[in-house]
Amino acid sequence: MTINSDQKHTPMATLALVFVAIIWISPFSWLFVNAVDTQATGELRWPQSIGIGNFVSAMSGSAAQQFMNSMILALGTATMTIVVAAGAAYFLSRVYIPGKTTILWALVVMRMMPTNGVLVPIYFTAEKSGLLNPLGVMIALTILNLPFTLLLLKNFFDTVPLELEEAAHVEGASLWEILRHVVLPLSRAGIAVVWFFSFTSAWNEFLFPLIFSRTDSVFPMSMGLYSAFGEHGAIQYGFLAAYSIVYAIPAIGVYFLLRRNMNTGFAGVGVKG
Amino acid sequence: MSNVRLENVSKTYGDMKIIHGVDLAINEGEFVVFVGPSGCGKSTLLRMIAGLEDITGGHIKIGDKIVNDMPSPQRGIAMVFQSYALYPHMTVRRNMAFGLEISKCPKDEIEERVNNAARILQLEPYLNRMPKELSGGQRQRVAIGRAIVREPKVFLFDEPLSNLDAALRGQTRLEIAKLHSSLGATMIYVTHDQVEAMTLADRIVVLNGGRIEQVGTPLELYSSPANAFVAGFIGGQKMNFMPASSRDGKLQLGQRVLPFSVSSSVTKVGIRPEHLQVSTPEDAHLSGRVEYVEMFGDHTLIHFETEDLGLITVKVEDSSDIKENEPIYVKLLAERLHLFDDSGRVHDAISH
Repeated sequence: MTINSDQKHTPMATLALVFVAIIWISPFSWLFVNAVDTQATGELRWPQSIGIGNFVSAMSGSAAQQFMNSMILALGTATMTIVVAAGAAYFLSRVYIPGKTTILWALVVMRMMPTNGVLVPIYFTAEKSGLLNPLGVMIALTILNLPFTLLLLKNFFDTVPLELEEAAHVEGASLWEILRHVVLPLSRAGIAVVWFFSFTSAWNEFLFPLIFSRTDSVFPMSMGLYSAFGEHGAIQYGFLAAYSIVYAIPAIGVYFLLRRNMNTGFAGVGVKG
Repeated sequence: MSNVRLENVSKTYGDMKIIHGVDLAINEGEFVVFVGPSGCGKSTLLRMIAGLEDITGGHIKIGDKIVNDMPSPQRGIAMVFQSYALYPHMTVRRNMAFGLEISKCPKDEIEERVNNAARILQLEPYLNRMPKELSGGQRQRVAIGRAIVREPKVFLFDEPLSNLDAALRGQTRLEIAKLHSSLGATMIYVTHDQVEAMTLADRIVVLNGGRIEQVGTPLELYSSPANAFVAGFIGGQKMNFMPASSRDGKLQLGQRVLPFSVSSSVTKVGIRPEHLQVSTPEDAHLSGRVEYVEMFGDHTLIHFETEDLGLITVKVEDSSDIKENEPIYVKLLAERLHLFDDSGRVHDAISH
């Protein structure tokens, strides 16, 4: 039996769908219309004068600096998370430690506490170790990412059959070569997910840059967006809308870049005849 | 090519002793099969030779070198795993070349060795495919190819055919036998399947509970098993075992005293189904009622229930007109009778 996909839509269903679509699309259309209107006032109206001026100012000067700061922060956090988590997760996956699953889940449960609850100790630790700077933010975010990413990557590494590693070992591969040529390529999907997750969460992070940043020059875009609401006296809605769009693009871009990897998990080839 | 020598080799996991002091000498170019039930330690022993398991006691020598502490890659061995262990993200060509690439072998030599192995194993059309695009038999051949390209002194096979279906298993078995005769390399092969052991081996090593029960050629093991375990394990059909004793120097089976001279310590006899003959009531040594009949076309197995000796199986050539629930009379071939005493060891040969 197949599911009939040619069912006729009733007028009521069509109306309901249109209603939902409007609710979903209207903020985006508001954003887009204001971004291309050089005389935007914040109202949802037909653009008075269409131009790319807003985008130019959203990608130059301090806005460009903030874009770069966000990029460095997100790339740095994602990469640091992957390196630390992959190393630790491989160890957790392959070495027998009594109660390791319990330990791992305990970390995850502890991580469910609101980050704000431990903000004060984190702040003082960073201050004492001279890390009230973007590097400090990366380290703090990496540590906070670790419980989930460890659990995720360990489970991915668990699916890579030990015999593959033994085969590579017999053929003369060192531990590093086994990791590079066998384990990591086969865990590509898990690594892509962890990288994407770390990238977007660091890109969106507001609180840590706020309390760790000593100068304007290291502000990321999340803080730039906040200050754009009041810094220039009156709010420049056109700039704000364009800035928001620029802010949203990298996360979407990273998703499309990694999508192929996320969809190709490890297929248990080699075991079944 | 190289000989392999095991001297009092043992293996302990915590308090559990898995291998109990095994001594074995494998000659250069020999095909040796380790066979035994699951958990007998045959795979552990192979993995110890491969360098994938530590050696708790004794020595393993490959060539003239003690390899106990030598890392696996330097032992000059290649291993074919039960699951094939092909790298799923590499093409067939790269799967075979990987080990050579790691050891920084020159490119043109890698190319030559891979092409050569592919030709031997008829894998040439598949070199650029991924493992998941191959059938089970082809994957198996890639795994063997990966071993061949390394030109090892010793090939190690860990149950390489157990993931294949029956038809393919027979075919691949033949290919492995051909490979051994063309390469002439020393091969050690682990299986739980006694048919593979019988057909492939120059010598079979029967293992049980971490000890060697018997080492010998397939025919030696079939015709003169050292004990009841080997007798029961080797052979196409399972051997019939019957409780026995000696009365006035003659063999007593249940209520019957048969005209065969035996020593007084005999407690058990074994006879293979093919060494029993359906006979007339006058010549019969045993009788019973047919329980069920299995027809294989070229031969038939008749299982009959005796009053005091349990279920006994007779193998008859061709088909048989014997029906279930009919009475049956059976003769023993005296010279094929295996006698065991309490320790399970085979007893002196029988005399009339």
